Amino acid sequence: MKTTSRQLPSFKPSRRWLTPGAIAVLLAFAVVFPQQVAKDNVWNLFFLMCLGIAMGQSWNMLGGFAGQTSLGHAAFFGIGAIITRVLWFHGTPFFLALIVGGVAAATFAMIIGAPTFRLRGAYFAIGTLAVAEVLRITIAQNQPYISTMPGSMIAEYNLPSRYWLALGLAIATTGAAYMLLRSRWSLGILGVREDEEAAQATGVHVLRHKLLALGLSAVFMGLAGGVFAFKQISYYPEAPFFPTFTFEALMIAYIGGLGTVSGPVIGGIFFVVVRERLAANLTDVHQVIFGALFVVIVLLLPGGLLEIWDRSKRLALRVIRR
Amino acid sequence: MPDFLNVDAINVAHGDIQALWDVSLEVGQGEIVALIGPNGAGKTTLMRAIAGLHPLKSGTVLLRDKALHALPAHRIVEQGVIMVPEGRRLFGGLTVMDNLELGAYSKRAREVRANTLELVFELFPLLAERRTQRANTMSGGQQQMLAVGRALMGVPKLLMLDEPSLGLGPLVVENIFETVRQMNQQGVTIFLVEQNARQALELAHRAYILEQGRIVGTGLGDELLRDDRVQQAYLGICPAPEE
Amino acid sequence: MQSFMQTLVFGIFAGAIYGIAAMGLALVFGVLKILNIAHGELVMLGGYVGFWAFSTLGWDPFLSLIIVIPAIFIVGLILDRIVYRHIVRQLGEEKIKNSLLVSFGLGLVLQNLAQALFTGDERSVQVSYAGEGLNIYGVLLPWTRLATLGIVLIVTLALHFFLRKTYPGKAILATAEDYESAELAGINIGRVYMMTFALGAALAAIAGQFVTFTYSLAPSIGMTWTLKAMIVIVLAGTGSILGALPAGLLLGVVEAMAGAYLAQTYKEVAGLVIFLFVLIVRPQGLFVRK
Repeated sequence: MKTTSRQLPSFKPSRRWLTPGAIAVLLAFAVVFPQQVAKDNVWNLFFLMCLGIAMGQSWNMLGGFAGQTSLGHAAFFGIGAIITRVLWFHGTPFFLALIVGGVAAATFAMIIGAPTFRLRGAYFAIGTLAVAEVLRITIAQNQPYISTMPGSMIAEYNLPSRYWLALGLAIATTGAAYMLLRSRWSLGILGVREDEEAAQATGVHVLRHKLLALGLSAVFMGLAGGVFAFKQISYYPEAPFFPTFTFEALMIAYIGGLGTVSGPVIGGIFFVVVRERLAANLTDVHQVIFGALFVVIVLLLPGGLLEIWDRSKRLALRVIRR
Repeated sequence: MPDFLNVDAINVAHGDIQALWDVSLEVGQGEIVALIGPNGAGKTTLMRAIAGLHPLKSGTVLLRDKALHALPAHRIVEQGVIMVPEGRRLFGGLTVMDNLELGAYSKRAREVRANTLELVFELFPLLAERRTQRANTMSGGQQQMLAVGRALMGVPKLLMLDEPSLGLGPLVVENIFETVRQMNQQGVTIFLVEQNARQALELAHRAYILEQGRIVGTGLGDELLRDDRVQQAYLGICPAPEE
Repeated sequence: MQSFMQTLVFGIFAGAIYGIAAMGLALVFGVLKILNIAHGELVMLGGYVGFWAFSTLGWDPFLSLIIVIPAIFIVGLILDRIVYRHIVRQLGEEKIKNSLLVSFGLGLVLQNLAQALFTGDERSVQVSYAGEGLNIYGVLLPWTRLATLGIVLIVTLALHFFLRKTYPGKAILATAEDYESAELAGINIGRVYMMTFALGAALAAIAGQFVTFTYSLAPSIGMTWTLKAMIVIVLAGTGSILGALPAGLLLGVVEAMAGAYLAQTYKEVAGLVIFLFVLIVRPQGLFVRK
């Protein structure tokens, strides 16, 4: 029997957040503000926010919509990063390399997902966790030359182009999440999350819906990895496979509000801004704070920031009416 | 008015679905009280609520003056209210002896463990023979004996049996019911949930009828056996479905 | 290149550590029915307590087990009270999922706390008798490794005795089998959960102490040890707490062989590959009781 107290917030792609007006303002801000300020740290901050939004949306498609917890999204991020970077360094046009990276991530997801999704529970989560580790240890460490961009690329490097790409990805991912919820697949996917057996009984092909959510999720996580590889001038090749990236993705989805389209947007902005502030003052302690915050959210507040907003609004209304 | 176990106006829900509505009943010391009713009426839920396995939304459960509803399940056991769950639910991988010893886990029971064990072996000599056997390798009837034996090890003042006849052959059921009568004669108060209404009513001093989460009738056991409505609903015309 | 026998022996020694780390995870999984991703962080914390005892008190690493074990046992009690207690009472899917999420977050907290407290530097304990040992027909058996194996065997036997022959141990097994029945027998399962979690943490800590002088210690080693312990559980088959020892030895040997006869990189992934293989080919063997 499902415990009702921990049910996720209702599912309609909450329109009051995604009203065209709000979107337009947000987009205009995202386009105009960094250009006006035109400072590296602002480009950087905005880049990270967009990457965070894309990662959060990606995790949310699978974990929030379809209810399948993944602890190995870093595997998809890492695959996207490494393939994009290797191909790109070998002279493949960047956009082609990026897309191949995303597709590769999705392919890998299917290889792990198809067998483990047949069973419920923790299998998938642990399977992806193990995949990320295997790849981190083997493939990533065999590609030391990708750690730093060649001089020619550094010469023509410019930060705004990275930001525009990340912004595009964030918009595309959010759009995809929105479309997924409006598609004919959405009922099946949400049904799988709420009650797999009941969904099966009403004729939903459970595995197919899970794989669809996983595939989309992995593509976008892989693309996010590719964008990361495009932006970082140098990093350890195994870094994108670190569990931290999984954690950031699911943290953003949880902070904002699991299972909503606007949640990861809010979560991404909030997470990155707070993290950058904390990182500036407290170095590594921000991970401790976010880890603890996450534990509290999972245990006490599965609806995230959106739930807090909803609750406080209801409370305010009650006070006003009195 | 019997003031041993007093269940007063309890409401219980499974998630959003209410399972029990203002259920009240009493069990007097030394009585055998049966609770009958159709499948899904909430009989097991009621018993689980008394045993502390299911939280109450409202209402009280008192044993004498002690508020059981405020206690966790293991503390209720310590008060001498012990339930034999439906389907026996033994510790299948452990031995017969382990199961019995665990039945005497509460402090009160542990102190008199050796004596109780003798009594249980007297009642069920078979358990003494099989003390080193693993519980899940025994037959259904033997398992039910062990389940009752395990509960007796807790030195119950009130023994609650949830569907003790479920899945057992008629002879075994006869045997179990006879044992229940014996235990009652030795001073153990019995509260019994049964789908096998006829046997339950023959055994019980009094009975309650639970339908759709509400008590819809009560009376002496043989009174109910003669009651038209009960006869129609539970005894024959529409025989209780066999599991 | 070392001999086949020597590789085998070192594999067994390494496997003993895997075995005891996995035993703790298996115990917690079997009884609380939660999967604690932060188990490896408990290994890591145990190692730091041992390292601290060595570097400030100058204690022999085997002696300092007497403070490592209770210290992490207490950490286990605290974590159960603050965090895991909220999860164990949940049901089914929700429970396992939340346990994964929460312990993942907690693992990160512990790792970064360790980073802040102890820095990210790699640490290890060097005992004066490190290189010494028995030499049997050219096969070297260092004292440290022999003692490690001996302690693992003793702890395994003690755990077996505790679970099978003592009242509290049987209460743990009973709770693992059917927690409601256990409650109805008068067992305080909240307490059983707490003690079991702490016991699992203590087992992790023993492994952590062995890590300090066998491998090296850093705040980031947690995930590796969690995965190692999970691989062992998969190999052991679930429900088997003590089966973790033979399965751990097997993993140790497989890794040693892969390292010696394939390449050092494959040593690290051999276990993970087996793990994925089991997941994909025989997933029902994982965490499911027959």
